[in-house]
Amino acid sequence: MRDFEYQSPKSIHELCDALSTHGDDAKLMAGGTAMMLAMRQRLLSPARILSIGRIPELHGICTDDAGNLHIGAYTTHTTIAESRLAQSTHPMLSKMAGGLANWQVRNQGTLGGNLCYADPSTDPPGCLMALDAKLVLQSSSGRRTLNMQEFCVDYFETALQPNEVLVSVVIPPLPPGATCTYERHLKTPADHRPMANLSIVSWLDNQGLKKFRIVVAAATPFPQRLVALENELTNTKASEAMTVHAVRSVIESLPTLSDARADSAYRQRIVGVLLERHLPEHLN
Amino acid sequence: MSAHEIHIQVNGEPHQTTAPARQMLSDFLRDTLYLTGTKRGCETGTCGACTVLKDGQPVKSCLSLTLQSDGCTITTVEGLANGDQLHPLQQAFLDAGGLQCGYCTPGFLMSSFALLAGNQNPSEAEVRRALNGHLCRCTGYSQIVESVLKAAETLRGN
Repeated sequence: MRDFEYQSPKSIHELCDALSTHGDDAKLMAGGTAMMLAMRQRLLSPARILSIGRIPELHGICTDDAGNLHIGAYTTHTTIAESRLAQSTHPMLSKMAGGLANWQVRNQGTLGGNLCYADPSTDPPGCLMALDAKLVLQSSSGRRTLNMQEFCVDYFETALQPNEVLVSVVIPPLPPGATCTYERHLKTPADHRPMANLSIVSWLDNQGLKKFRIVVAAATPFPQRLVALENELTNTKASEAMTVHAVRSVIESLPTLSDARADSAYRQRIVGVLLERHLPEHLN
Repeated sequence: MSAHEIHIQVNGEPHQTTAPARQMLSDFLRDTLYLTGTKRGCETGTCGACTVLKDGQPVKSCLSLTLQSDGCTITTVEGLANGDQLHPLQQAFLDAGGLQCGYCTPGFLMSSFALLAGNQNPSEAEVRRALNGHLCRCTGYSQIVESVLKAAETLRGN
């Protein structure tokens, strides 16, 4: 690994100053599990690493008066999995975090690092998109908030600018009576990265209409919300046959990845299986 | 070369040292402290042979900078035995044949130790789940799982 300068700012202000000064030469590091791997393989050779681990504001989980769950960017997957608060407000999230990768990575890897690295073969982004999470980004010129669709731009690419840091993830309370599903599909039980995953949140709105957020991830370069399918399911009293038909037409248009884990056609079939397995529990 | 002073406690012993920025925790433990029980295996975070406990939690020391452990408590496999007296986990691996070549064993021991510290009576599924960040290419896992369950029994005083 090439040598680099290491800096560990103690506040977001100090961090933003360092980002402004060093520009793209500096790379942010959270838990470092993915970054160290990329650096050891010489895929990444930053001149300076800015570790965000010593900034208290980026740690921890809390709720606000409106019931939104706030998760600091430096919060580890284990902390999310074991958080009583997250378990009670968004059990789908804590269950997902508890099954991510393996124990060692969950203890070191953080939610913020995971989202900003934007590796498609992972669990949190799709789950958070289905939960309608918002991301709070900060630079020396101020804060902005993006939703997951705005943040996830492409394969290993996010809307995070070189002078910005992800501060927190904000998840709104679930609609009353919501049904939630998260399933990861691993190539083998020993694999640690999903080949495909499906997240579904459904609920009845004030008019008694069934609403859905359906997200496919890991099978695609970045999480895909299946809006056409959501609308079709909301607007029709979907029979089983119609659901199968709708699922088929949706997965055929999915931009599934082909890589060492699986080819595109296989991933489409797996996504179809996941949808057909889990949609029925959301349609009654 | 960029370097920083850190304070780190390893197996109960405090150290004040200057660590190069690019030094991995696994290299610090092996090459600076000569604690060679921690193994460098794949060095890409896959095999788990380098697992140590950082503030009681298993982490992969090949994917962690030494500087990230400033102010932390590290436990390596050398921290398990009490002099010549093996820890019940080590004894159970020996008795149940939980190792052949032994290269992966320090990592398995550390995650097993952390599991039993938080759960004195784990199910087989819980043991397997705790150990799924480790690879063993010769024992075949059954005896490793058996070793951990045996150690749990010993530690419960059964």
